[in-house]
Amino acid sequence: MSRLEVERLSVSFGGVRAVRDLSFSVAEGEILGLIGPNGAGKTTVFNLVTGFVRPASGAIRLDGRPLVGLKPHAVARHGLARTFQIVKPFPRLSVRENVTLAAFLRHPARRDAEAHADAVLERVGLAHRVTVAAGQLTLLDQKRLEVARALATGPRILLLDEPMGGLTPAEVGLASDLVAGIRDGGVTIVLVEHVMKAIMRISDRVLVMNQGEKIAEGPPSRVVEEPAVLAAYFGKRRVA
Amino acid sequence: MRRAAPWVAAIAAALLVPFAGPGSFVLHVLILVLMWTTLGAAWNVLGGLAGQVSFGHAALVGVGAYTTMILYLKLGIAPWWGMLAGGAAAALVSLPIGLLCFRLRGPYFSLATLAVAEIVRLVALNFESLTNGPVGFLITALPPLHLGGWAVNWESKTPFYVAAVLLAAAALVSTDWVKGSRLGAYLVAIREDEDAAEAVGIDTVRVKVITLAHSAFLAGLGGGFYAFYFRYVDPDAVCNIGLSMEMVFIAMVGGLGTVGGPLVGATFLTAVAEVVRGQLGLGHLVFYGLSMMLVIRFMPEGIWGRVHRLLTRPRGAAADVALGG
Repeated sequence: MSRLEVERLSVSFGGVRAVRDLSFSVAEGEILGLIGPNGAGKTTVFNLVTGFVRPASGAIRLDGRPLVGLKPHAVARHGLARTFQIVKPFPRLSVRENVTLAAFLRHPARRDAEAHADAVLERVGLAHRVTVAAGQLTLLDQKRLEVARALATGPRILLLDEPMGGLTPAEVGLASDLVAGIRDGGVTIVLVEHVMKAIMRISDRVLVMNQGEKIAEGPPSRVVEEPAVLAAYFGKRRVA
Repeated sequence: MRRAAPWVAAIAAALLVPFAGPGSFVLHVLILVLMWTTLGAAWNVLGGLAGQVSFGHAALVGVGAYTTMILYLKLGIAPWWGMLAGGAAAALVSLPIGLLCFRLRGPYFSLATLAVAEIVRLVALNFESLTNGPVGFLITALPPLHLGGWAVNWESKTPFYVAAVLLAAAALVSTDWVKGSRLGAYLVAIREDEDAAEAVGIDTVRVKVITLAHSAFLAGLGGGFYAFYFRYVDPDAVCNIGLSMEMVFIAMVGGLGTVGGPLVGATFLTAVAEVVRGQLGLGHLVFYGLSMMLVIRFMPEGIWGRVHRLLTRPRGAAADVALGG
């Protein structure tokens, strides 16, 4: 059964059709890579699915339950968490406090929330930095914190928006392992990423967008050979 | 309550002050400080803890003051009950205001509160059958009150002082309680990054509306006390923008989001106001503005915040806008 279903989703911003008639589904336990050139609408898809932007039309279902019209906090409560492409830590709070705030969603008592936060921080490799102010972290650690905070809300599905953007190749390796590990822990994942090597390695399936539309979908190795994908990335003439 | 004992001690000590036999002028100044503490703390709950800057809190003070006046002069309900009703009325009025204004963020929210305050002022000015319009309300005699067989003497400042202590205590203790609670943690998250707060499952609008209601209740209480103590209320006294600014001033100068800040800010404001009015007899608002600029430039964490930091934090340690701190 599919965990997340998106059906004929569309939205426009001032005449620009940012997402057009987009349908896809994500199976339980899957890692779906969402790729496409800049401006393809990938982050907009995340904003639509998580309730930050309301779609003009279309349906979104999480385990069969409709999400359209819900505010982001309600979407999170239903078990769908996200990270932001441009990290949004609570900069003056410590790492532990950042994650504790997210853990409150499933653990109302402060002691439980803090214990859960510590466990999540251990898992993403931030256990040694719990007392540091989030704004003081390196970019890699801020990306880890972003993932930790999303994980601490106890999601069934996690939407990661460029968790590897701006990282060094060695760091990309660490981040890929982290993402794969989260999936192995039972969380379904949708991943927007520009680092092709990483996305090709860890995705079970890849969906390619261009100008708001789906142009290809399938296993990574096959998708990279599709003419439409090559055209979107490299231009038409080279393919023709 | 995390630290009940210090609070009980502080409140008890404050209540003992009249026994030391201060003159009525000293008590009057203390009453003003405590009233301003309540109003500054009311603003601080929303503006300091949640980072939602309101320029219209005078509207809520006005609702409290008018409720107290109307209940007493038209229905004969004693003003000490009227104060509580004023707080409740202000909290009630704040709900639709919150639901409307919190659709906006940052400076747009602030501008919306300014507009709401102006609407409330115009209602107070023009809805004459309810508010007496520009004439306002005057209490000529307070109703008799007997406490434990003693008749309260309304000519003395002491009963007002006791009421002011209790009000300020309610404002500061409730701030402390919120800061230590899960709600307080949510407010910090909202202040730091609203999108991130939503993303981790915090219903930011609901949390802000609840906090505005808390803030409004305290502002309404303060307004009710104003009516009770000064016995005179008109739109200029309780609905003007100067009052809104004074509440902002107290919270900022004292220390945004700190528990004790409003008390420090109120002391400072009252001192500046008395000195400037007495010595120069001109625009005390100019001096508020000047001192606010100086504080923002040189002490953005406010007087209380600076002192608290110097006393508690070793130099160079991580920021402690801790969830419970």
